[in-house]
Amino acid sequence: MTQQIALAICSFVLALIGTMLLSALSLVVARSSSGGKSFRFETEAKGLALLKGWLSPAQRASYERYRYFDVVGSDTGTRYRIHHGTQTNIEELSHTGHHICKWCFVPDGDLVAGDVMLAQKIALETNERGALMVAHRSFVTAGPRRF
Amino acid sequence: MATQIVMDRTGDSRHSFDVHDRVEVEKAERRFKELTGAGFTAAVRSGPGEQKVIRSFDPTADETLFYPRLVGG
Repeated sequence: MTQQIALAICSFVLALIGTMLLSALSLVVARSSSGGKSFRFETEAKGLALLKGWLSPAQRASYERYRYFDVVGSDTGTRYRIHHGTQTNIEELSHTGHHICKWCFVPDGDLVAGDVMLAQKIALETNERGALMVAHRSFVTAGPRRF
Repeated sequence: MATQIVMDRTGDSRHSFDVHDRVEVEKAERRFKELTGAGFTAAVRSGPGEQKVIRSFDPTADETLFYPRLVGG
């Protein structure tokens, strides 16, 4: 009888310790996940602040209103529309402003959208040919936009 | 103070230096060479919304921005 009571107490204590450990683990995971999200948000905001600091007033106004801005290629005078994003987010426009194709080139590394868009702007405005030489061109227009 | 801004996974890293301090300027020049040697492009502002790419260190630039080598996405 005494052994049974001792066994029950031991089981209860073990279950209690297990529950406490699980709770602590959940807290650590939750905090880590929330910290990651917060870090990503801060990084995104930092990238956008940098971008906005380097845009012309007209480009900044366009970006803030439509989430895209236009740049003029340094070599051909072609107009490109850089949409918010990090992939296939550059649209080549005709002189009448119609869509011709999409271009995709990005700075190497896992950079946030603001940084990517700023590098794309500088590249097209200072070395258009060099940028397009490494870029992938896409004529696909159907399907959802991924900007 | 001048600043070198290097794009990275944290958004960017900033390195400020006193243009009147020879040691700091030399350090900034070394950083410039290291980054451009590693494929980064350096750009400075030349007007509102305008910029130019530089191939050699310019200690008089208020801000020099470095972005990594471009690749097809």
